[in-house]
Amino acid sequence: MDQLVTLLKRAMPFQMVPDDTLKAIAGLAKYESHAQGDVIYHIGDYADDIYIVSSGSVQHTLGIGTQATHLDKTMRSGDVFGWAAVLENQRSRLAKTVCLERTELIRINGEDLINLFKASPALGDVVMSRFATMINKEFTLPEAVAAQVPHFTQAQATMATMATGLTLTMFRVSQWLKSPKPYLMLIGFSILLGIWYFTVEVWKLPRFEDMPGLTVVVKELFSKDPTYGLSLYTPEYYQHVWVSLRRIGIAFFLATILGVPLGLFLGWSKTFREYVFPVFETLRPIPILAWVPLAILMFSGSETPVIYLTFLASFFATALNTMLGVETIDESYSRAASCLGASKWQTFREVIVPGAMPFIFTGLQISIGVAWFSLVAGEMVSGQFGLGYVINTSYTMVRYPTIVIGMVTLGAVGYTTSAMVRMAGDYMMQWRVRELALGGR
Amino acid sequence: MKITGLRKTLFSRATLRAVIALSVFLVLWEIGSQSKQWLGFTVPWIGQVPAPTAVLKAWVELLSDPGYWQSWYMSTLRVLAGFFAAMLIGIPLGLFMAVNRTFNGLAFPSFEILRPIPPLAWVPASIIFWPTQELSIAFVTFLGAFFTVVINVLGGAKSIDVRFFQSAQSMGSSQWDVFRRVVLPATLPSIVVGSAVGMGITWEVVVAAEMISGGGGGGGSGGGLGFFIWNSYVGGSYEQIVVGMISIGIAGFACSELLRTLGGYFTPWLKKR
Repeated sequence: MDQLVTLLKRAMPFQMVPDDTLKAIAGLAKYESHAQGDVIYHIGDYADDIYIVSSGSVQHTLGIGTQATHLDKTMRSGDVFGWAAVLENQRSRLAKTVCLERTELIRINGEDLINLFKASPALGDVVMSRFATMINKEFTLPEAVAAQVPHFTQAQATMATMATGLTLTMFRVSQWLKSPKPYLMLIGFSILLGIWYFTVEVWKLPRFEDMPGLTVVVKELFSKDPTYGLSLYTPEYYQHVWVSLRRIGIAFFLATILGVPLGLFLGWSKTFREYVFPVFETLRPIPILAWVPLAILMFSGSETPVIYLTFLASFFATALNTMLGVETIDESYSRAASCLGASKWQTFREVIVPGAMPFIFTGLQISIGVAWFSLVAGEMVSGQFGLGYVINTSYTMVRYPTIVIGMVTLGAVGYTTSAMVRMAGDYMMQWRVRELALGGR
Repeated sequence: MKITGLRKTLFSRATLRAVIALSVFLVLWEIGSQSKQWLGFTVPWIGQVPAPTAVLKAWVELLSDPGYWQSWYMSTLRVLAGFFAAMLIGIPLGLFMAVNRTFNGLAFPSFEILRPIPPLAWVPASIIFWPTQELSIAFVTFLGAFFTVVINVLGGAKSIDVRFFQSAQSMGSSQWDVFRRVVLPATLPSIVVGSAVGMGITWEVVVAAEMISGGGGGGGSGGGLGFFIWNSYVGGSYEQIVVGMISIGIAGFACSELLRTLGGYFTPWLKKR
């Protein structure tokens, strides 16, 4: 029984079926074995069962009339054939199958299989759509043939896609765990941490021994009563994170609502660009951090200069990318819209804005990155509270482990925010995500 | 022929508009800065910024000051050191990660968890680690360019069409030939882009590193442009801050342009489009 389940799991249409259902399917299966040269069925025979190869190999030759790109295919262990038994309106064999050697097969009655899935229509649709994919891709038959697989649900279509989404994620996770990737990743991490631990704390190499060690930092980070006053259990830690996040939030928001429209207009109107862009390009090469003293002079207090610096960095990135995005839009789109009678404003709304969207979001991702970059600089030089401030004061007050805590936190928070921007972008541009997925990227 | 082309760009409408826009910008800036004397009230924000005429005057004075040129020299040196170190380590690393799957699986996740940490957050740690100020500044500049270069090289190599490898191999290329004739030319454009972006970041980082670490070598002349700006701020000569900002802007821009031109020379096939 278990052997049957493992075999079914390898069969392409059943790969996402949970184990208990596989057992039910295995209950329908019959073993049989054939000698070399046995013909399992001819073209035109009545199609009753589907077959899965357990061992050996079978030559599968489609009839000329099927319009398949490749007629011949050799079936090996785990391959499925005889799928005409699950097609609607098509109950005769499309191919001739001959055993090439001593072959063991299992056969499952098509009607029984379809009846079994009537109890769980969502799962049935998943399996049948995989059948369709297999017929279309592996057997190179036209989609019209593949489309003859039965559909179980019409009303509960959303349920089915949800189930597909979930099973798909599960499937991907299990595939990922089977690949060497996660293990290599763990080895990579342990090498990195190992180098840190051994050079600093065990071998105490010159220069390295002054650095805060791995165990010291970890102990400090998870200590309820930290030696240097900052750990996951102290409220100050969250206060610093919050202050930094708030600054980033304000600056990023301002940069987006000012930078995106500016970029759109720069790309859209030639006159506007010829006037504004030179000024923009004169200011842009100045590193954001060179603005620090000037920002302190211009804005009173310690909060506004830091926000201003962060804003400036984000603003340039956002505006420039948006402009590039508008420039890449094929001009024939705008012309087509005008030909169809769109007003200037309509063209802007319906062509320019969605067309530039992918670039805008690339720009926003860069923008959030540089925002953190300049926030840290701003906080280190001026300002109170915030993660950059933590790092700098920890250095001047010789609290070395806290420096690393600040760095790690910065990395984690920075990564999370850019992941959020990316997710927002994917959500707003689902058409593009699909396009990329179809392109196989 | 060439001269008429030049004349055309010089006297085109775009140039005229650029000149108008920049002049308006400068005039507004001048009025804003001088608003206290001229208008009787201070325009918020711009009112605190030194006027362009004052900046120009300070700049002219500085041109004969060896300390100013020393700052240029120091910063350029640090940028070049960090940048070349990043190229030397980053390009082979990126290529190797793209070619070898095991190494990629091993190194890429670790690389990705280090990457979101802003380079400047490394400044204190690097000061503790490296024996001299000079090395610690160079190290932070190196980090700034390093991640960008690696990501660009990796991305470029990953986007090569598999069929190129397959056809090269089926025509009997050796590993080295595939690398030399397929991987390298295909990644060159992204190496160029990566290094130009990396150069920009290096200039950003060097300024901040000099500001935070106090210039290295102590004292006014040894400091570099970032320190020059900070020193001007502390010393209260605000015009010099703006001079320093513009100088760094010019330096960064020139370096990136130089790299792009150089890159265009190495990737002539991209120009045809």
